[in-house]
Amino acid sequence: MMDVARRTLGNGLRVAAIPIAGLRSVSVLLAMEAGQFFEPAGRPGVARLTAQAMLRGTTSRDARAWSDALDGLGASARLDVGSHAAVFSGQCLADDLGAFLDLIADTVLRPALAPEALEFVRSRALADLEEAKKDTRSVADQVWRELVYPARHPFRTRSIGDEDVVRTATIDEIRAYHRAGIHAAGSVLVVAGALEADPAFDLADRAFGPWAAGNKLDRLLRLVDLDGAKRRAVVVPDKTQADVVLGWPGLPRTDPRFTKAQVANMVFAADTFASRAGQVVRDELGLAYYVFSTISGTAAQGPWTVRMGVNPENVERAIAVTFTELKKIRDGVVADDDLALARDKLVGELEVGRESPSGVAAMVLEAELFRLGDDHLERYPRDLRSVTKADVVAIASEFLPIDRYALAIAGPEIPAVS
Amino acid sequence: VIHALEARHAPVVSLWVWYHVGGRNEVPGTTGMSHFLEHMLFKGTPTHPKGDLDRLLARYGAQWNAFTNEDVTCYFETVPRDRYEVALELEADRMRNALISTDEVEAERTVIVSEREGLENDPSFLLGESLQAVAFDRHPYGQGVIGSKFEIKLMTRDGLYAHYRRYYAPNNAYVVVVGDDRAETLVEKAAAAFERVGQAEIVASPLAPAPPQMGEKRLVVHRAGGALPIVQLGFHTAAASDPRAAALQALGVALAGGGGGDAASGRSSRLYRGLVEPELATEVDATFGLTKDPFLFMIEATVRPGVAHGAVEAALLRELGRLADEPIDETEFARVRRGLLASVAFPSDTITWRAFRLGSLLSTGAAQSIGAWYDALAKVTPTDVQRCAQETFVERARTVGHFIPEAG
Repeated sequence: MMDVARRTLGNGLRVAAIPIAGLRSVSVLLAMEAGQFFEPAGRPGVARLTAQAMLRGTTSRDARAWSDALDGLGASARLDVGSHAAVFSGQCLADDLGAFLDLIADTVLRPALAPEALEFVRSRALADLEEAKKDTRSVADQVWRELVYPARHPFRTRSIGDEDVVRTATIDEIRAYHRAGIHAAGSVLVVAGALEADPAFDLADRAFGPWAAGNKLDRLLRLVDLDGAKRRAVVVPDKTQADVVLGWPGLPRTDPRFTKAQVANMVFAADTFASRAGQVVRDELGLAYYVFSTISGTAAQGPWTVRMGVNPENVERAIAVTFTELKKIRDGVVADDDLALARDKLVGELEVGRESPSGVAAMVLEAELFRLGDDHLERYPRDLRSVTKADVVAIASEFLPIDRYALAIAGPEIPAVS
Repeated sequence: VIHALEARHAPVVSLWVWYHVGGRNEVPGTTGMSHFLEHMLFKGTPTHPKGDLDRLLARYGAQWNAFTNEDVTCYFETVPRDRYEVALELEADRMRNALISTDEVEAERTVIVSEREGLENDPSFLLGESLQAVAFDRHPYGQGVIGSKFEIKLMTRDGLYAHYRRYYAPNNAYVVVVGDDRAETLVEKAAAAFERVGQAEIVASPLAPAPPQMGEKRLVVHRAGGALPIVQLGFHTAAASDPRAAALQALGVALAGGGGGDAASGRSSRLYRGLVEPELATEVDATFGLTKDPFLFMIEATVRPGVAHGAVEAALLRELGRLADEPIDETEFARVRRGLLASVAFPSDTITWRAFRLGSLLSTGAAQSIGAWYDALAKVTPTDVQRCAQETFVERARTVGHFIPEAG
């Protein structure tokens, strides 16, 4: 098993360090509870603008000096806004861990957030939004969200945001969001690779010790429940393939049934080859190049979606056979071997995932962020193996109804069904 | 030929089989054949019927896949250490015993057309494919890899099977394995699995290099299926085995860093500072790929709304010219060098990527080991980079492509 050492800094920042012998680098993940879930209601896009603006210089270094320092280490780094957290991720050589953490801390604790920084990232975000309008995967994803989530729900819009919000966000709003959302309380730092735990904790304390504790944010959301089948197809001109998103509101990562849902998802469509829908849609009928499903891990009902790229002629058939496979699962027609395969695959992936420091860091981060327990990684394979056919059927019956779903299609015109 | 490296940090083994067959081994009329064949290698053998391999590997939680490029077709499995022999058995079996039935060819044809159509939705792919075709008018690199949709639709089972029997054999493959065991043991097990596989008579068919390009070529792709304009520049350049390959990689890092997209890293690079900072482009990239034959040094910029293609092209050429005109100063070169060495060190800490890196170096002739490649990169000087810029970024060796989105 992995050797995970944990320490909580004085300001509440939780730090996990995983030494891995034989490596030269360290993977770093800093998750701040500043993802879409925590965005101000009705202001989608503010979290991403804030994250991007944070990378445009600090109170002690302008953007160029900060980039020079980062690239001087040869480190890789990025800051992404997900459904739950804003995550700073990167990799550095072992000897550079202290300097790398200092650079990340400079950005997180002391961003300049100058008006010109906002204008720079705003125009980039508007260009990204323009591009997304012609990207069939992005269009299908956005349309699906609009079918499922009500106005002002944090997951109604993709993290890139709403065009009006991106156009109108002010620097004061960005600074206020940084003050309210980017703080030590609720944040988790994970370092994995060529390190020793105690020195790594000391480096983390040096870099992030001065971070204000802040108040952990929370958000109460109404339960999302679809009241029927919703479908919308959007024509994106001059495309050859249609992207399809079929899905339901999922369940929070903290829900005790989440592990059962992961197994049900694997039996159904998570993998193009190991899951029922993938086998039939791609392998048996040759209807799509890719088909897979995911459950979003967040504190609320994130998307539980099946996605596929299909020739317009095959869209209706691909959807129909996906529902056929789902109906079989709901009816209890699940072969013992399909269930065993799903469990084995999820357990095996945990072992194979240890091949990289970033894989190890990601596993630990999920457990820490959602407070799944210090013994989660030890318990998790057993929990996966204990999922029964009855559990899978129950999960599919409750969360994947065949008469209440949302279906979004983006691409060329879909031929009429004869 | 079998190469093995020990990696003891996780109980995992990554096995890669590289066949010397790709887009460069195809002729007009059958473009995409190597890639189509790659798909057919997942359709079963007499010993492991269709679905067997998928389910077996999935059960282990394996990371497994395959890819085809201009030079090679490659299959890999990263599995728990105690499943290494199973991975070997599967690869040795499908090296000569794939079934490739007519029915399965028909079923897979629509999947490959779907893959091609997915790529066609991407303006960068559309422009790049056209640029490659214009830049290489007498070398199969101009045909790309996935093939034309019409030729995919015409591909026959017998043609695929003949391609398979011709190129899939131990004497036309590299096996690379990295994992949690002694290197000698990893090699011994691989040798035991593959020595039972019969060899094929490989008829060497040397390819003439592309004749020198004698003037700039230009092309324009119009489509409604993209929102932002794109500028691509492709310069004929050296093969992976050329002594300048390491310096050409350094040139790529100097131009675009290792970041790209939304990455925070790579923002000290020349193209980021010359095009993204002044708000001419939203994204920039520069790539020198490791290939068997001389390929293209590719530059790409996604144009900001309201900016003309010409302005971006001029800014790109200005930055390329600066690198040719003056050597990189010491401070900047220290960053480039660090980024270059990190580009080897970071992936090497992941077992799968360490195996991929070694295989790509071996199969293209870039180096005989990761260490040798690292040393070659470490020896690059600012003068080497400047000389490469002078030799590469010349007007008559370049092909310029513009993607122009149309209202739709």
